[in-house]
Amino acid sequence: MNTKTELQGKANRHLWMQAKGWADMTAAGEPMIIESANGISVTDIEGNTWLDVNGGYSSVNIGYGRKDMADIVKNQMLQLSYYPEQTTTFPNALLAEKLAEITPGTLSRVWPVSGGSEANEIAIRMARAYHVRRGDKGRYKIISRYGSYHGATSGVAWLGRPASLGLDQYEPGPLGMIYASQPNPYSCSFGGKSPSECAILCAQDIENLIIQNDPDTIAAIIGEPITSSLGAVVPGEQYWLIVREICDRYGILLIDDEVVCGFGRTGKMFGIEHFGVTPDIMTLAKGLGSSYVPIGAVIATTQIADAFAGKENIFYAALTAGGHPVSTASALANINIIEQEGLVEASAVKGRYFINRLNNLAVKHPIVGDVRGMGLLVAIELDSKFTIDDKELEDWLVNTFKDNGLLLRTLGSRVIQMSPPLCITEAEIDIIVDALDSTLTKLSSYLSKV
Amino acid sequence: MVFTLKACKYVIRRHILLETDLDHLIDRIFFMDTPAEIEHVRLKALNNLWMHNRDWTEMAESGGPHVITSGKGVRVTDSEGNSWIDVNAGYSCVNIGYGRPEIAQAVYEQINKTSFCPIGTTTETVIRLAEKLAELAPGDLNRVFFSTGGSEANETALKIAKAYHNRRGEPGRYRVISRKGSYHGMTGGVLWTGDGPAVHKADYGPAYPGMLHVPQPNPYRCEFGGETESECAILCAQAIEDTILFHGAETISAFIGEPIAIPQGAPVPSKEYWPMVRDICDRYGVIMIADEVVCGFGRTGKMFAMEHFNVVPDIMTVAKGIISAYLPMAGTIVSDRIADSFSGGDASLKHVLTNSGHPVSAAAALKNISIIEEENMVDNAKVVGGYFKNQLENMIMDHPYVGDVRGVGLFLAMELVSDRKTKAGFDTGIEIGVRLTKKFKSKGLIFRARENILHFGPPLCITREEVDEIVHAVDLGLWEFEGECGVGRFA
Repeated sequence: MNTKTELQGKANRHLWMQAKGWADMTAAGEPMIIESANGISVTDIEGNTWLDVNGGYSSVNIGYGRKDMADIVKNQMLQLSYYPEQTTTFPNALLAEKLAEITPGTLSRVWPVSGGSEANEIAIRMARAYHVRRGDKGRYKIISRYGSYHGATSGVAWLGRPASLGLDQYEPGPLGMIYASQPNPYSCSFGGKSPSECAILCAQDIENLIIQNDPDTIAAIIGEPITSSLGAVVPGEQYWLIVREICDRYGILLIDDEVVCGFGRTGKMFGIEHFGVTPDIMTLAKGLGSSYVPIGAVIATTQIADAFAGKENIFYAALTAGGHPVSTASALANINIIEQEGLVEASAVKGRYFINRLNNLAVKHPIVGDVRGMGLLVAIELDSKFTIDDKELEDWLVNTFKDNGLLLRTLGSRVIQMSPPLCITEAEIDIIVDALDSTLTKLSSYLSKV
Repeated sequence: MVFTLKACKYVIRRHILLETDLDHLIDRIFFMDTPAEIEHVRLKALNNLWMHNRDWTEMAESGGPHVITSGKGVRVTDSEGNSWIDVNAGYSCVNIGYGRPEIAQAVYEQINKTSFCPIGTTTETVIRLAEKLAELAPGDLNRVFFSTGGSEANETALKIAKAYHNRRGEPGRYRVISRKGSYHGMTGGVLWTGDGPAVHKADYGPAYPGMLHVPQPNPYRCEFGGETESECAILCAQAIEDTILFHGAETISAFIGEPIAIPQGAPVPSKEYWPMVRDICDRYGVIMIADEVVCGFGRTGKMFAMEHFNVVPDIMTVAKGIISAYLPMAGTIVSDRIADSFSGGDASLKHVLTNSGHPVSAAAALKNISIIEEENMVDNAKVVGGYFKNQLENMIMDHPYVGDVRGVGLFLAMELVSDRKTKAGFDTGIEIGVRLTKKFKSKGLIFRARENILHFGPPLCITREEVDEIVHAVDLGLWEFEGECGVGRFA
C-alpha cells in the first residue's frame, strides 16, 4: 500500500492539476487524494471524510457512490465499448430520444460530445454554419455576457472573458466577440434598483450592442440561465423573455448553456424553464452524467437541424469520444435516477430550505451582502464594504471551511457558491450552514486584524 | 470472466438498489432484439440523433443507420446479427481491440471506490497514470495535463506554449505553424491548424488569428516538386524556417505536427525532416508540439511515432490509443523545462476542464496501457503491419488505380489515382469514396474510403489471417470498381 506522501510526491512530480501549481501544492501538503465517496461525502486516503459542497465541479448531481451506475457502465463496456465510424448504437439513439423528450419546445436533435467546452464549441459552430446554410453568410459574431464562463478551449474561452482564465496572456483572441453586461441585480451595471429594472436595462443593452455592431453580422447570443461563474446570479424574470424576443427580431440564435444549470440543479430539469423561454440550441454536460464518466451534448431545434438535412448540407464535425456508447448509457441511467428519485423536486425543496437558512445567516452577519440562487445552485456574496479582494483571504476561507469538514472552493474572496449533489439532506445543509456561520464569525475577527 | 447477455442481466439486477427501478432501462439498452425494438431504435436515431458527418434524410432513404450492438477484437456485430471487420478501429482508436473485460472490470472497481473527486483533489489512478506516461514518454516529457479528447489536448498544448512565452517575457509570440494536410481537432483554436479535407472551414469562419500553414512533407505529392523523399523533406523543413523568418521569430509561439499525418493518407516524411524541424524550433525559440493522438500507443510499431525519427518534442499530445476509446481520455505531456515556468503562485496555468483527470478514465487507461505492454501489441503492430503493407504493395501490380502504398506499423494507406503517371485523382461525379465504401461493406468490411485515400488503422491485436481477410475484400472491391470504370483485368 502506498503512503499518502509517496503518492503526493508523484502527483507533484508528474501531474499538472487544474489552476494550481505543484510548488504551492507541495508547500500546502496537497493534493488531497480521494479514496472513496458516497452521497455528498468523500473520504481521503487517510480516512478523513469531507462534505463536497461543490459536488465535484457542480457536476455530481445524483451524488457519489451509486453501485447501479457502476453496473450500467461495466455492462455497456462488456457489451460494446466503442463503435465504427458512421454507425451508431442503442444507447446513443435512446439518449437522443430521452433528451428530445425532456427538453422544452422543439429541441429535438442531439449531437453528443464529452464535456461542456466541446458542447459550446459545437453550438457556436452550428450557429455560424446555420446562417451560412440559409445564405446569410456574414453572421459570425457572438454576444456573451461579461464574466460568464463557457469553457476553456480557444473558441469558447473568450466568451464572457472570465477572470478565472487569465486571457490577457493569450491575446489576440478570436474575432467577433461582443460582451454584454450581466443582469446581476446585486450590482447592476446600469444602476437598476430592482431585479426587474436591472433585467430590462441589461436586455436593452443587448439590443443596443446588436445595433452598434450591425445586426447582419451577429450569429448568436450565449448565456447560462443563471450565471454560475459569478455565483448563482439570477436575472429578473423579464430578462430571458426580452432577450428571446430580441433574438427573434434580428434573426439571431439563442444558445442556452445548461452545462451547470441542467438536470435539476436549479429546481427545474433545465434552468431556462424558470423563465418560460425556449432556446434554439441548448448545451449540456456535468449533470447529464453526474461525472460518472465524461459526457456532454448539444441539442438543437428541428428548425435549426433541418437546415443541415440533405447530402449537400451536412454539418461537418466529428469528435472521437462524441457519442461514446458507455457515456450515453451512463447518462441514460443517470437521467433515470434523477426522474425515479424525484431529484428535480428535491432540488427545489432543499434549495428553498438552504436559501432560508442562508437568509437567517445574513441577518446575523452584516458582512453578508447578498444571498441568492435557485434550487441547489446558491451563493452568498460578501459586502465589499467590509471585505477585501485578495488571494490570501480566498485561501483563508477555503482553509477555514476545510477545518470545519467542508471542501468548498470560493469564486475569488467574496463569492461563495454552493452546488452540492441533489440528494443532499436537510441535516447535511445544516452542517454546511453551521460551518459557514462559524467561518463568518471568525472572518470578522480575521478582517479586523488585517 | 466474460459475461453472457443473461449473466449480464442477472448481475445488474442483483446490484440494483431497491429504490431505483432501472430494469426497464436496462432491458432497453442491452436486450432489445425483436425486430420492432430494433426498428424503434433506428427511428429514434433518425429523428433525434445527429451522427458525425451524416445526413438523416439520406440515411432514411437507405434504410436507417447501421446499429452496432457488440464488439470483440477487430470485429463488431450489428443489430441484425451480421459480423463485420472494423478496418479503422473506430477512428483509428481502438488499439487493443473491442470487448476486453479487464477494462470493464477496472472501471467497475474504480466507480465503486470513487467515480469522481472534488475540485483541487485527485485519486491514485490519476497519479499512477501521470507517472506511467512520464515513464513512457521520451526525454524530459514528465508533466501531464489530462483532458477528454485530442482537440482538448492540442488546445491545452497551444495554450501552454503561449503562456510559456508570456512567462519568459515574450508576450508577442502568438502565431502557430502547422502543416497543410494535417488534422489537430475541431475546437475553436486547433480547427484552424492543419488543413485537411475533413473540415469545411468556410462554415465556421473567420479563422483564429495567427495561424500559419506550411506544406506537408508528402513524398508522393511534394508541393515543392522534390524528386526524392529526402529532397521533399528538406524543402518542406526549410519552408518552416522561411515562414518563421518572414513573420519574425519573435511572433511565433509553436509548431504543431503529427509525426505521420492522417488526412493525406499516412505520408511518412523522410528521416531528415523531424531532426531539421527540431533544430529550427530550437534555433528560433519555437515550441515543438508533437501530436501523437493517432500515432501514439503502438499504432506505428513504436510506442510513440516520434521515436522513428529520434526526436523529442517540447510537448506531446495523446488521446485515442491511450485508452483505446473505452472511455474519453487525453493528455498533454509537457517537458520539465517548460512546465517549470508554471510551478506556483501567479505563474500557475489558469485552465480548467471538468473532466481533467477523471478517476474512472484513468483506471481504464492504466489497464489499457498494461494490456498493450503485456501482450506486446507494439511489436505486433510492427510485425503484422509489415506483413499488411507487403500484401497491399502486392496489389500495385494487379490494380492500375493503386498509385501509392505507404505508412508504417498498423498506420497504413493506399492512394488511388486514375492515372499513375500524372497522379490525377477522380472526378467528384464518380463518387469513388461512396462506391468503394459500399463495395467493401458488401464484402464484410466497415471501411470508409475517404475519396481516393484508403486509410487502414485496425486494432493492434489483428492477426495475419484477419489482414488476409481485409486485403482479399479490398482486392475484390477494387477489381469491381476498376471493371466498372473500364480499366484493369476485368474491364
